[in-house]
Amino acid sequence: MLWQLALRNIWRNRRRTLLTLSAMVISSALLILCLGVFSGMLKDMLASATEQYFGHLVISAKGYQDDRDMFANFPADLDLPALRHPQVTGYSPRLRSFGLLSFANNSAPVELLGIRPQHEQQVTSLQDHLQSGRYLREEERNGAVIGAGLAKRLAVQPGDELVFVTQAADGSIGNDLLQVSGIFSTGDQGHDNSLVLVPLGWLQQLLVLPGKLHEISLRVEQPRQAAILAGQLTGGMPPELEVLDWGQMLPEMKEVVASYDVSRMIIVTILYIATGLGILNTFFMSVLERTREFGVLMAVGMRPGQIRLMVLLETLAMGLISLIFGVGLGVLLSLYMAFVGIDLSGSLTPITYAGGTILPRLHAVLETANILVPAVVLLLVCLLAGFLPANRAARMQPVVAIREE
Amino acid sequence: MPLIELKSVSKIYPLGNQQVVAVEDLSLQIEAGEFTVLAGPSGSGKTTLLNMIGCLDRPSNGEVWLDAEEVGQADSKTLSQIRLNKIGFIFQSFNLVPVLTAAENAEFTMMLMGIGKKQRRQRIVDLFAQLGLQGLEDRKPNDLSGGQQQRVAIARAMAAEPAVVLADEPTASLDTQTSEELLALMKELNREQGTTFIFSSHDPLVISHAQRVVSLRDGRLESDR
Ligand SMILES: Nc1ncnc2c1ncn2[C@@H]1O[C@H](COP(=O)(O)OP(=O)(O)OP(=O)(O)O)[C@@H](O)[C@H]1O
Ligand SMILES: [Mg+2]
Repeated sequence: MLWQLALRNIWRNRRRTLLTLSAMVISSALLILCLGVFSGMLKDMLASATEQYFGHLVISAKGYQDDRDMFANFPADLDLPALRHPQVTGYSPRLRSFGLLSFANNSAPVELLGIRPQHEQQVTSLQDHLQSGRYLREEERNGAVIGAGLAKRLAVQPGDELVFVTQAADGSIGNDLLQVSGIFSTGDQGHDNSLVLVPLGWLQQLLVLPGKLHEISLRVEQPRQAAILAGQLTGGMPPELEVLDWGQMLPEMKEVVASYDVSRMIIVTILYIATGLGILNTFFMSVLERTREFGVLMAVGMRPGQIRLMVLLETLAMGLISLIFGVGLGVLLSLYMAFVGIDLSGSLTPITYAGGTILPRLHAVLETANILVPAVVLLLVCLLAGFLPANRAARMQPVVAIREE
Repeated sequence: MPLIELKSVSKIYPLGNQQVVAVEDLSLQIEAGEFTVLAGPSGSGKTTLLNMIGCLDRPSNGEVWLDAEEVGQADSKTLSQIRLNKIGFIFQSFNLVPVLTAAENAEFTMMLMGIGKKQRRQRIVDLFAQLGLQGLEDRKPNDLSGGQQQRVAIARAMAAEPAVVLADEPTASLDTQTSEELLALMKELNREQGTTFIFSSHDPLVISHAQRVVSLRDGRLESDR
């Protein structure tokens, strides 16, 4: 009976109810959309950092990642059970070198990553970011895939021959020719301006580090759970090696991801405080207008508790209605943004932040929490906004209320 | 033992730093089945008195006995329970719940009491027939005339078979002919169902229908006949 009364009371003032409902629907829908886009950015950022360079986990000699000392290497033929862990979906053995790359009169400091193309493609996705040319081939001896910024600086194109100079492990000066196979562009300035992929064998030879590696980069099934997996894998490692997760290599990125849950709550709260005040105002008006009616209801025997419950049910019903439409609309908008999105590359350039790159596009990902949090908070806000008016209604003295005109 | 007994009841309202004595040292007994009018000029304390009998308000002094129970100082929860179970109210401006239909308004108190649907429906059918409201069950109050609304209000007051029906100027918003009809109906209900009725009114027409007229002046009993 109270539900029935509450539902009918909602529609007494149709226009006001519809206005309030649409405010609630729109704010929750936009919120869901915003959070979806926000999540999308975060995912892009994380993916750009891990899937274009680091991988999710990295096995290397203890301390190697701190200073990337050439001599902190390990043999490639170690038997590592970690590589066979079911959560590990790919791995790439790598050797790294820093040196000078030249073409004609131009030269630039670069980071060379010696890789095995088929393995590297299991971990990173630079092959999907090629601007021109092609990715390294397995049998290629001295091919190079270089960043777009670097290519521009050196003014090279696929097919051009480059000279790389660095110090080798035996103290000699190593230099050799590379031939540009392809040029990649990820939007990450750091990588686009200095990263070069070369065949692992070629680099081992140049550095006089035959059969040696600096790191093995792993891809895992659940990137957000990488830290836990890193802990599990450490057990089966030789003592001189360590397993680091992306959070350890990119502490700022880890902070960004960790603070996301908090930022989400803050955004939701701020937006809903505004909405909540609007609802509170409406509910108060609707209760004050009915003072006399509440007096009569109490006079004929309705208990204050029932009056309070009735008003709360009204606000709850409003909450539920706007929830259904708000979530529906929000999910639809998010789906649109997930599958179509908006490309902003015409007016914005990529931003690299905390080691990841935010691409100039609006693109949403659907996450349960992005829908659940706004939904639950909306209901809480409704109940809170209903609580004061409901109490006010329940505390009325019937004699006083009935006399009210 | 009378159904209602007031023992030296007073009601004093604070008004700024003054006090308004609305009812002063008033004693009154009303037997079950009476059809009584509280008469008196405006401001004489009729509404105040009805509110105290109706457990809507507590006396400042004195005792109010209803159905062998002292209700003058009961807490508001108890009062609300007594109102639900023993008292029916009819208001000057009908005061039906606008979102409920005529039938729903009439059965509202029965619903609050938890009476089953079948029993409620039967009671409504009977009451509506007696009050000439057949066919109007599903109308909303706004689609009814004043007289019809007040008849629905009578049905609401009578539905739960209260010990006493209190009506504060029930005909003041109605024309003479409609008032006449309503009074006849209430008298009929009083006779057939034995329900006690207490009105307040300064309308000579209403007063002429009463079996007993209690006149008030300045919160005191002026005459009782
Ligand atoms: N809440 C209140 N605060 C202060 N004074 C009040 C209050 N209610 C009633 N009074 C005063 O008490 C006196 C009696 O009022 P009451 O409403 O009982 O009279 P009444 O006989 O019903 O009058 P009417 O015929 O105009 O309805 C009046 O002087 C009125 O001003
Ligand atoms: Mg009055």
